[in-house]
Amino acid sequence: MIEIPTVETERLILRAPREADFEHEAAFFATERSRFVGGPMQRDLVWRALAGIIGHWVFRGYGFWAVEEKGTGLYCGHVGCWCPEGWPEPEIGWTVMEAAEGRGIAHEAALASRRYAYEVLGWTTAISLIDPKNTRSLALGKRLGAKFEYTYTHPSYGPMDVHRHPAPAELAQ
Amino acid sequence: MSHFAVEIPTLETERLFLRAPSPADAEAYVAFFASDRARFVGGNGTRERAWQAFAMEIGHWVLRGFGSWAVIERGSDESLGYVGCWYPEPWPEKEIGWLLWAGAEGRGIGFEAASAVRAYAYGTLGWPTAVSYINPGNARSIALAERLGAVRDPEAARPPPDEGEAPCLVYRHPAPAECAP
Repeated sequence: MIEIPTVETERLILRAPREADFEHEAAFFATERSRFVGGPMQRDLVWRALAGIIGHWVFRGYGFWAVEEKGTGLYCGHVGCWCPEGWPEPEIGWTVMEAAEGRGIAHEAALASRRYAYEVLGWTTAISLIDPKNTRSLALGKRLGAKFEYTYTHPSYGPMDVHRHPAPAELAQ
Repeated sequence: MSHFAVEIPTLETERLFLRAPSPADAEAYVAFFASDRARFVGGNGTRERAWQAFAMEIGHWVLRGFGSWAVIERGSDESLGYVGCWYPEPWPEKEIGWLLWAGAEGRGIGFEAASAVRAYAYGTLGWPTAVSYINPGNARSIALAERLGAVRDPEAARPPPDEGEAPCLVYRHPAPAECAP
């Protein structure tokens, strides 16, 4: 049995990925816009990555959700709690489609993910791995209160900057 | 909070259970996929690639509604391999696929599991035909395909080869009517 919870926020539904999401992800990963998150990537690798997102849920008990805008059904990207083999520690991660940018959607989804990590999963800390050239992602990390801590070099993906989020107690203040 | 859930059926054969992929199989799967035995099936020797391949086994069920099972010998709890119905992007056709750990060889385990999977593909899933894509250097896998009655189909479309690997051979399985028990 594969079970993935659904989380709702004011404007968004965070739900299990499904086959219909693939074309959106494939279109995104076909462009240079995906260069900070492992792209550009061919369709077969995107399919594999999407299937891998679901498998991550079974491995870890948490993972990336597909983010959908309520009402419009717009596919916004995938956001969630992520720690595959080779990660330094569990992170709050986000990959946002172009159509969802500039409206605080990633912020809303990342906040919900962090809350889920702290309240449901019981994480005592969380990081986000951000490419230092990814200015939009850096801005979101900053908006979430995360602070640069050190550079981690992944065995396959190379160097990434670790930004640490405020701990649960700091957010409660 | 609502949940999304997918139920994966269990298949039984004379000697085997085919059950849903489980995190309990991860070490055996990753050890296989990171080893030289996986050179014909897309392994590149790293644990990251192996972990990703295992996670994909699970996700395939959600994206396609079918996928691979862990092959378990009755009375045991340890996986002997993964066998299933396989159709990732960019496969031209639906495949019966198998990955067998070293300990499963030479006892007809792969044949028994693949026969059950093919019966499921033809019966439950209603596939009208099935292929197996095999690296030309993988003699053991070719022998299993032939034992299953599959024959070379040189006209069939093939998935693009893995980097540095030869294009695969396409073995086409007997049609459902020819496989009827």
